[in-house]
Amino acid sequence: MKKNRLFRLLIAVFALALVAAACGGSSAEDEPATTTVPTTEAAGATGSETTEPVAAPLRVAIVAPSAKDDLAFTQSMVDAVNALDRDIELSITDGTFVIEDAAAAIRGYAEDGNDVVIAHGTQFGASLIEIAPDFPDVTFLWGTATDTQGLDNVFAYSPAADEGGYVNGIVAAGISESGIIGVVGPLEAGDAVAYIKGFETGALDGGAKSVNITYTGSFGDVALAAEAAQAHLVNGVDVLTGSAQMVVGAVGVASQNDIPWFGTQANQTSLAPDLVVASQVYHWEVILEEMLSLRDAGVLGGQAFEINLANGGLVIEFNPGYDLPEGVRAAADAAIQGIIGGTIDTGF
Amino acid sequence: MGTSNTTKVLLEMRGITKRFPGVIANEDVDFDVRNGEVHTLLGENGAGKSTLMKIVFGLYQADEGEVLLRGEPIDIRSPSEAIAARIGMVHQHFMLVPPLTVAENVALGLSSSRRPFTDLAKVSTRISEISDAHGLAVDPSTEVWRLSVGERQRVEIIKALYRDAELLVLDEPTAVLTPQEVDDLFVILRRMVDDGRGLIFISHKLHEVMALSDRITVLRDGRVAGSTTPAEATRESLARMMVGREVRLTPHKGKVTVGDARLSIRNLTVIGDRGTPAVKNLSLDVLGGEILGIAGVSGNGQREFAEAVAGLRHTEPGGTITMDGADITTSSTRVRRNLGLAYVPEERMRDGVVAEFSVSENLVLVNHGSKEFTKRGLLATGAIRRRSTEMVKQFAVKTPTIDTPIASLSGGNIQKVVMARELSASPGVLLACQPTRGVDIGSAEYIHSRLIEQRERGAATLVVSEDLDEILGLADRIAVMYEGEIVAIIDSADAKREEIGLLMAGVLET
Amino acid sequence: MSDFFTLTVLVAVVGSGVRLATPYLLAGLGETVGQKSGVLNLGIDGVMQLSAFSAYFVVLKTDNLMLGVLAGLAVGAVMGVFYGVITIVFKATQGISGIGIFIFGLGFSDLLFQRLVGTPKPIRQLPTIEIPFLSELPVVGEALFQHNPLTYVAFILVPVTILFLGKTTFGLNIRAVGENPHAADSLGVSVERTRYVAILIGNTMAGLAGVALVLELGIFQPNLTQGLGFIAVALVYFGSWRPSHVMAGALLYGLVNATVLQLKARNIIPLSFSELAAMAPAVLTIVALVILAQRVKGPAALTKPFIRH
Repeated sequence: MKKNRLFRLLIAVFALALVAAACGGSSAEDEPATTTVPTTEAAGATGSETTEPVAAPLRVAIVAPSAKDDLAFTQSMVDAVNALDRDIELSITDGTFVIEDAAAAIRGYAEDGNDVVIAHGTQFGASLIEIAPDFPDVTFLWGTATDTQGLDNVFAYSPAADEGGYVNGIVAAGISESGIIGVVGPLEAGDAVAYIKGFETGALDGGAKSVNITYTGSFGDVALAAEAAQAHLVNGVDVLTGSAQMVVGAVGVASQNDIPWFGTQANQTSLAPDLVVASQVYHWEVILEEMLSLRDAGVLGGQAFEINLANGGLVIEFNPGYDLPEGVRAAADAAIQGIIGGTIDTGF
Repeated sequence: MGTSNTTKVLLEMRGITKRFPGVIANEDVDFDVRNGEVHTLLGENGAGKSTLMKIVFGLYQADEGEVLLRGEPIDIRSPSEAIAARIGMVHQHFMLVPPLTVAENVALGLSSSRRPFTDLAKVSTRISEISDAHGLAVDPSTEVWRLSVGERQRVEIIKALYRDAELLVLDEPTAVLTPQEVDDLFVILRRMVDDGRGLIFISHKLHEVMALSDRITVLRDGRVAGSTTPAEATRESLARMMVGREVRLTPHKGKVTVGDARLSIRNLTVIGDRGTPAVKNLSLDVLGGEILGIAGVSGNGQREFAEAVAGLRHTEPGGTITMDGADITTSSTRVRRNLGLAYVPEERMRDGVVAEFSVSENLVLVNHGSKEFTKRGLLATGAIRRRSTEMVKQFAVKTPTIDTPIASLSGGNIQKVVMARELSASPGVLLACQPTRGVDIGSAEYIHSRLIEQRERGAATLVVSEDLDEILGLADRIAVMYEGEIVAIIDSADAKREEIGLLMAGVLET
Repeated sequence: MSDFFTLTVLVAVVGSGVRLATPYLLAGLGETVGQKSGVLNLGIDGVMQLSAFSAYFVVLKTDNLMLGVLAGLAVGAVMGVFYGVITIVFKATQGISGIGIFIFGLGFSDLLFQRLVGTPKPIRQLPTIEIPFLSELPVVGEALFQHNPLTYVAFILVPVTILFLGKTTFGLNIRAVGENPHAADSLGVSVERTRYVAILIGNTMAGLAGVALVLELGIFQPNLTQGLGFIAVALVYFGSWRPSHVMAGALLYGLVNATVLQLKARNIIPLSFSELAAMAPAVLTIVALVILAQRVKGPAALTKPFIRH
């Protein structure tokens, strides 16, 4: 009967494997980020069905395709919710690159009585059309997206990633000696396209000779992103940028070859402390606060929001560890003002 | 073939009992082999021969009883222990690795003088020595898949001799050989016995047993049914010991007036699985009231020929198949059946029955669409049950009920179900392939008598068989097939085994 | 466009192709050994991820590359023991068990990464070793002899595997057990033990493939392999179980990938064709190997558990 015991052990290990796979890093679920500072504003908004005099925390859930600390897209939203000055109970399911898994998680959170469910991925739109009407009291946030698909309990959100891209492009052109700049992108979709298009326009406006763009065809293939960066180096590229979570591979190549790097979606300085020049960082909290206030006032959705340089949702964070020439820094500030003032076209 | 009682007892098995869940495979079996003799173990399929030998070779352990080797008790727990004790076994299904060379097959499991590398050059030299000493010609550097069946058999024996086997067990070694290859094998085996080795020969082919053995022990239902010698026994007496009752080995055939050709084949060419012609420009007539036997070594186009006649394989343009005057060359199997063709396929489990279906369902398989068994598009269960019960009785099928899954019946009873179904329509032409392969003697006798009945009814019967005894016993005329052609048609009254054997091997031209 | 075929570009493309090919080659060679013994392992992608994470984590904590490599190899071997128990002791269906291992490796490495590391941090990468004399040869020197040590190991393992399978007694046992285990058994070769060792070799090499990937990149991220292990299994099939063909397949796959990336970098492939071009490596490699192989039959006992009868 030794065999039997072994078999049971095996089954237990397998069960563990399945659980591990199913959660796929949703480990964050059991460590909710709870802020205990109640906001007077929220308590004051009486009449709304979710707020009572003794303010119960607002229950928010995030469903996202990559890891919650990916130094990119997903992390930007997690950081934003944590930055809100509200009493929030946060749940996260990340790493749901399979859409069906994400849809199940979205529905699950709505059924569980969450007040706000954030579907953090363009690809979750079709699922929302099915799910949102079943939960009229729940507010769904969907991004990146520029419209709500006609659903009145959905808020859409998107970054004007082209704006930061443009500013990064101006700076990149300013420090490039060869005038040839390389870009590593994933698929031609989402905010990656906006960022890359803005970057290209900025770099060319800033005097670059050529901007070489590679879409590797994958959001996750780190090795391919690394080799895409290598391929750029042969052609005289001396500044690199890129978008999406697989760029960590490209940053590695940049760092091995002393090539300055520009980041987007989150501050990537930690990946190459000496070489990251600047990162465009998403501060969703600016529009998140707006959306939640609308919900407090009884408007559960139906509007689209954008973060940009003007509303402070997009911030260019320069790495103090990189010695940027003053003239270039001034050009960057001028570009930011130009975009806010509407005098610069990012070409997107 | 003199038995020398003076020689030592090499192996002795006493009171061996081996049980499997629900079955007693061997019960209180005594068996021994002396140096310098061939002791045959004879019995039907399932009589317990293979189980007993697997105990000798360490693949099974006996539940009761003891084994003595060279007078010493021995407990053989694995093939490697058996090999170490100088016991060799040539298994019924070749234990060879086809993509490997002969030398690699022989070297497998042996320690090498050039560890961790193999020493195939040395092995090859030794193989050549053994080949020369025993007349076992084979090239050590050839891959086994390139070898003929007879050559593979030799490799198996070389494997045992290379390991210096003193006791050699041969489990049905002749099943796949031509008569000439069997003769050659027997010469080799005899030489090995004369060297002082002991041989256990397992077979159910009576004339081979009579030809090779010094002693014969018959197993029936797991027990020893008797022991004898070729001098004291006859084929009939051996068959009686195997089956436990009187058996007619040569079917009794009455005189029949032969009619016109009912099946005519002209210039038939069939492409085989390898994309080359397996049947080449073959012409043949089968007359009403005769049994025409097709003899040949497996793989000479018999299967492709039969499948073409049954309508399961395309024929090349130019050839025709006519049945009772109707051209059926391109007809579907259904049309052929409606015209009166019945087919008993070679692979009965694959092509003859649906393994998951019951006996009853299998009995009506071809007729289930007929008026008799269908009412308003539904199967008429009552009628089907009545008819199945009748057929089971008529063909003496041993089955618990008609609802038993067919797969749980014995080979002989499955074949009887197929025969019952195929003969129930009183066919004009009957095509039976390997009708008694893997079938016990009792069932074989019964199947033969039903085939002869068809002949007396006026049907044209075509029997394809690799068992030459079966062909010689059944057929009125014998067509010998070699490399896709009919090389001779012989009247069975004039047929000689040796001549047919040579024709089958392609040695004799006519 | 005209200057695409300059030597510099060619050297870069070949160098990049060889780097990309390395993990496929290591995983493919290991899988070849396993499959030759009759055991299919669809789980090597999961093994690679666990090994990659282990190596990453150890280097992150100790900054010692050698310890990282050893950790990855050890995890691969442990996964081999695990897979052996499933497929040999319990004779479970190999296809499904392999998928189970893959899911376990993917999920567990992700979980460990989230718990123990969180935010990706760069680690030390394997150094580039220039082979004396050879690396100074024009063109080929830079393309072929300026790589990290594991790339050399991978390519040295090709003749080693050929020799091992073809010329050693244990290799003979592996081949026999994968074709006709009953024959091997009848000659006293332990089918179980032979397959177990083959699985251990296969998994350890998969582990090494994961190590090579992560130490080349210098960073880990969940699902780092992106199905690399599955492509390696396909290379074994389409490479008809020959180490040399598996190498040809891995190299071709890497080279086509590198060529496509270079063509994209120079805007020779228009952006609108980017996604189509991304499929080119797999398609071309499979077509080439199919033509090369002409439908060779695999080990006859592949995926069949051994049961004495």
